[in-house]
Amino acid sequence: MKKLPLLSTIAAVCFSLSAMAQMPNDAIYMSKGQVCVATMYTNSSWKEYWENTLKRENLNIGTHTTQSVMVMPAIGITNRLNVMLALPYVWTKTSAGNLMGQKGLQDLSGWLKWKAVEVKGFSLNGLVGASIPVSKYVPDFLPMSIGLQCKTVTARLLASYQHKTGVYVTGHASYSWRSNINVDRDAYQADDRVYNTNEVSVPNSTDWGARVGILKRKWQTEVFVENFSCVNGDNIRRNDMPFPTNNMEATTVGWYGKLQPKALGMNARVSYVTSGLNMGQSTSVMVGVLYLFNFKK
Amino acid sequence: MKKNISRLTYIGVTLSVLTGVFSCDKTIEEPQRVGYTPASVDEKAGAWKTYLLASAEEISVPAPTAVTSSDYVAELSALKGLASNLSQEQKEAVVYWGAGAVYRWNEIARELAARYNIPPASNADGKYPVPDAANPLADPKFPFANPPYTSRALAYLSVAQYDALVSAWNFKYKFKRSAPSKVDASIPAALPVSALPSYPSEDAVVAAASVTILKAMFPGEVPYLDAKLKEHLASRQWAGMNVTSDLTAGTNLGNAVAAKVMGRARTDGMGAANNQALTAGMIEAAKSRGIKEPWLSQEGPARPPMLPNFGAVQTWNFDRKTLEQIRPVIPYVVGSAEWQKELDELKSIQNKQTREQARIANYWADGAGSYTPPGHWHRAAANAAHEAKFSEIKMARTLALVGTAEMDAGIACWETKYYYYTPRPQQFGLKTSVGLPNFPSYTSGHSTFSAAAATVLAYIFPDQADKFNAQAQEASVSRIYGLIHYRIDCELGLKHGKVIGDYAIARGKADGSGL
Repeated sequence: MKKLPLLSTIAAVCFSLSAMAQMPNDAIYMSKGQVCVATMYTNSSWKEYWENTLKRENLNIGTHTTQSVMVMPAIGITNRLNVMLALPYVWTKTSAGNLMGQKGLQDLSGWLKWKAVEVKGFSLNGLVGASIPVSKYVPDFLPMSIGLQCKTVTARLLASYQHKTGVYVTGHASYSWRSNINVDRDAYQADDRVYNTNEVSVPNSTDWGARVGILKRKWQTEVFVENFSCVNGDNIRRNDMPFPTNNMEATTVGWYGKLQPKALGMNARVSYVTSGLNMGQSTSVMVGVLYLFNFKK
Repeated sequence: MKKNISRLTYIGVTLSVLTGVFSCDKTIEEPQRVGYTPASVDEKAGAWKTYLLASAEEISVPAPTAVTSSDYVAELSALKGLASNLSQEQKEAVVYWGAGAVYRWNEIARELAARYNIPPASNADGKYPVPDAANPLADPKFPFANPPYTSRALAYLSVAQYDALVSAWNFKYKFKRSAPSKVDASIPAALPVSALPSYPSEDAVVAAASVTILKAMFPGEVPYLDAKLKEHLASRQWAGMNVTSDLTAGTNLGNAVAAKVMGRARTDGMGAANNQALTAGMIEAAKSRGIKEPWLSQEGPARPPMLPNFGAVQTWNFDRKTLEQIRPVIPYVVGSAEWQKELDELKSIQNKQTREQARIANYWADGAGSYTPPGHWHRAAANAAHEAKFSEIKMARTLALVGTAEMDAGIACWETKYYYYTPRPQQFGLKTSVGLPNFPSYTSGHSTFSAAAATVLAYIFPDQADKFNAQAQEASVSRIYGLIHYRIDCELGLKHGKVIGDYAIARGKADGSGL
């Protein structure tokens, strides 16, 4: 009875998986005692989305925009073991219709990144990430919600080869376990049936990425393709709202660059979703400021 | 060495975190309902007043064969075979249906309402195609089970169940055929066996009546409903509860009663409820009553309002003259100081909506994809009656009283909405955290539905009156927190709903149940 043909962005949810600076998706390490703090602003918007497989627009949304500011320190514990933390503040809005924007601190995430093997420019890295919501934002007012409220744990394998010229190729694949969540209502529909409980199962997910670029001492540039896919889940029903149980998928292409001549630097990223399922076709732009602290004795 | 230890520590922490998540079970736990021996079998219920049957004898049920007859002995023997060596699936069906026939069919109806509660999408021409009952699974699906539609579907379901059970109780105590396991102790009964006579089977009566109504209300679900019916009837034999002739007599009675109930449904005015040609006249009439700025659809493209003539549908517990007498007075008009004050209240909530306000708005939203507020209250009623161990007939009476009150609330509220045709706050720039219904604002449907249901439930469960009334209050104010209703919409909707509920109570007090 609400009118509600809506969407799902969930770009917000992926922040913790696809963040940038010296990142969970590269083979770059802070040296022992170094801390790089990245502060990044991201603007992600879409006008069309996939309702199940149907690509459509929605005059009651117009353009949907998710913005965030994220602080992300990367810490060199040893030369081969880094810790990364990230905490975004997220806010959403639409250009049409009357859905109220949502805002708030989203999920605190952390990564351990360990260089397990390093031979002649080739490295094999193991990463473990986890995230936990830090505020009680509403998870099922999609597409306005700023996140899904799940706790996650991600295991990632990342392989990279870097030539002495600085050219590199990197690939990663991950699996994320996502916890069930509780919603405000005590009955909801998913999988074509009604659940008489406030507990909602959010599907686990996988993601992979492949990137090629050049890394120099003071700068970096790369292009990438990434994919995020739930391992199961249901689809947005015809003209209905999205829901946290949805099987969301997105394939994204983009460019990332970094310039850090001294302690102070900046990074930027642009990306575009080329195909998806139960998500918006978003275009994202990120810009960030980096600062390197050196605590080496 | 130290380095290695710290590395091991990290790995250990990592593993323990992973283990925590691996062990995290993603299975969704839902409250499970099981069968019980009713607190009372209500053996006099065959004399309770029916809604549409002229009397409990209107549809005749043939006398059963004697329990000493060779036919019955053969039936017992067949039952014994059916009730033995059950598969896991059969056992689960016994437990599922054993929770209660009326309970389960009400739950199934709510589930169908949720599945069909999605507004049609606009087409390339910017028009909204109307769901077609003759082609129910096309896009848009028929029906759009919005709150008025759902209130009506559940009312007819509950009335058919109730009338059929009153008739069944009459024949049960006329023929007094004992339960199979009481005739032959070697019949394994998997469910509690009460003193209730078993012919005709109350489960078959409810199943047949329910399926007849639901096939008419959800014509795209015929195969699903047939499968449920088949399983329900079979489960009574797997449970050792009914011989075939109990079920056959019950099925015939349930079908006949539901056919009569559908006779009313076909002529109650629902066919004209979506007559959009009437809205121009409604708007003019509302203006003549002092409404300065009539409601406009806020959707893109503008969507015709939901069932503008549902207010003309036939009510259950009061007549048309009463409906007009109890209609709430004109609300604050746009531009008045009182209206401005209530708009300002909403703006203030929009600027600093608390998490608790959002929670209340979300809990009661019951919007698209849900079984709607009438479904929410049917669920509350069915659960309360289940917890009170009501007999099937008393459960059906409860749901019929609540169900007719909800449909009356829907009719009277919709009549009020289109009588005044008032604008939503969104027409003046407000957003919403729950989604905006596409019909006039005054009065609040949630408030009217909730007060009507809570009033009836407070009568049936007096020890829980405070709880139900508080829930109705919360459901009402949730629409202010969700920013889609002015306070007066909610407050006068609550009062209206209370009066509507009182008419259902008057009916209940006069139905011969002595309750």
